[in-house]
Amino acid sequence: MHVADGVLATQVWVGGYVATGAITAFCLRRIAPEQIPKISIMTAAFFVASLIHVPLGPTSVHLILNGLCGIILGWGAYISILVGLTLQALLFQHGGLTTIGVNAFNMGVGALAAFGFFKLRGKISIRHRDFLFGFLAGVIGVVVGLISLSICLLTSGEEFLGVVKLALVAHLPIMAIEGLVAGFATIFLMKVKPEVLR
Amino acid sequence: MHLPEIDKYSHLQSYLHSWDPRAKITSFSFLILSIVLLGKLPVALVGFVLASALVLSSRIPLRFIFKHLRWVLLFVSVFFILMSIFIPGQELYRFHSLVISQEGLQKGTLIAVKALTITLLIFPMIGTTPFPTTIKALEGLRVPHVLVQISAFTYRYIFLSIAEGKRMIIALTSRGFERKTDLHTLQTLGKLIGMMFVRSYERTERVYQAMVSRGYNGEMVTMNEFHLHGGDIGKAIFISLLGVILISLEVVL
Repeated sequence: MHVADGVLATQVWVGGYVATGAITAFCLRRIAPEQIPKISIMTAAFFVASLIHVPLGPTSVHLILNGLCGIILGWGAYISILVGLTLQALLFQHGGLTTIGVNAFNMGVGALAAFGFFKLRGKISIRHRDFLFGFLAGVIGVVVGLISLSICLLTSGEEFLGVVKLALVAHLPIMAIEGLVAGFATIFLMKVKPEVLR
Repeated sequence: MHLPEIDKYSHLQSYLHSWDPRAKITSFSFLILSIVLLGKLPVALVGFVLASALVLSSRIPLRFIFKHLRWVLLFVSVFFILMSIFIPGQELYRFHSLVISQEGLQKGTLIAVKALTITLLIFPMIGTTPFPTTIKALEGLRVPHVLVQISAFTYRYIFLSIAEGKRMIIALTSRGFERKTDLHTLQTLGKLIGMMFVRSYERTERVYQAMVSRGYNGEMVTMNEFHLHGGDIGKAIFISLLGVILISLEVVL
């Protein structure tokens, strides 16, 4: 779901940096100094977990996990994603440099949406509630990110319409995988260490 | 899962290695910025040649660089194919209903060249300094203090997390687990990831207490300081000039 350098229009990637700068400044004010080591160690865990391959028919996909990141780190998730993507671009040449702002925005907004949604679960009591909310949080992370990515591509140029359509179709199985992994991870965390979840 | 090794060759000797990382990052960022703004294919190709020359002069082995270009090459080729098919224009080649247009081919090539050029520039920029020093240099470049600290800690813990993830996967494999496209695989991976987070969460508490007991109060104290010399500025001017030349070519041509 990352965009490499040279694809997006200048206004779009500059806008990505502006938006990410503003949201990061907002989130930084909401985290206490003692959360710095926590966010860092969890970012390292997310970084590594997103390197895990999941087989999908003849190919395999990487996990994105931005929804799960949102429900575990809350406001810290945006910072975690920004740092994770920067390290990924510098260490593994995965994603672009001028697109770090846009990529962090796409995934980070998805994570914050998942976080907001997951907080609603206290108000509802149904069977399989934890799995359902984890699953939907995982799906929301991908869907919101994908919508944001599509808007970025389409405002860069109408010629990207074909790419956007293909990306939407290609992400359908990824949504299911992300949702299921997030759902199962949520049940596991609720049983083993519920304080990890926000 | 392999270890991050971008700074594997940061111990070599070259004018890039001996350069103050703050000046290096600033001037390379300017060069990257000028390349991303290019809209003409011939100028972008000049940029590609310049970037290749910079990579060669960094003395980083080419085998190492090719290995790290895999992702961007994959991305670029997918984009290249899609763009040549989806952008309408003068028909170059037709295969049933698929038309490859000249405009699409041009636009696709431009994106590919720019993406590849910028990725190449990461090696002389980041690969010639030990990565922890690069992170520290960001602080000198006014990146917010908390972001620098989180990056530094995250980088440190990535190695530990990779080792832990590998151990857990070996444990699963030795009990007969095979990754397939089914619900069982996703359930197992979900639990594995959950366990990684539980372990990391417990570690965060121990690490934080250990840090506080050694006097951590949100500030980071380091021993080495940077010193900017005349040579560092000269090199920065040289790299920035390359960017200015590219932009001038773009405007003039």
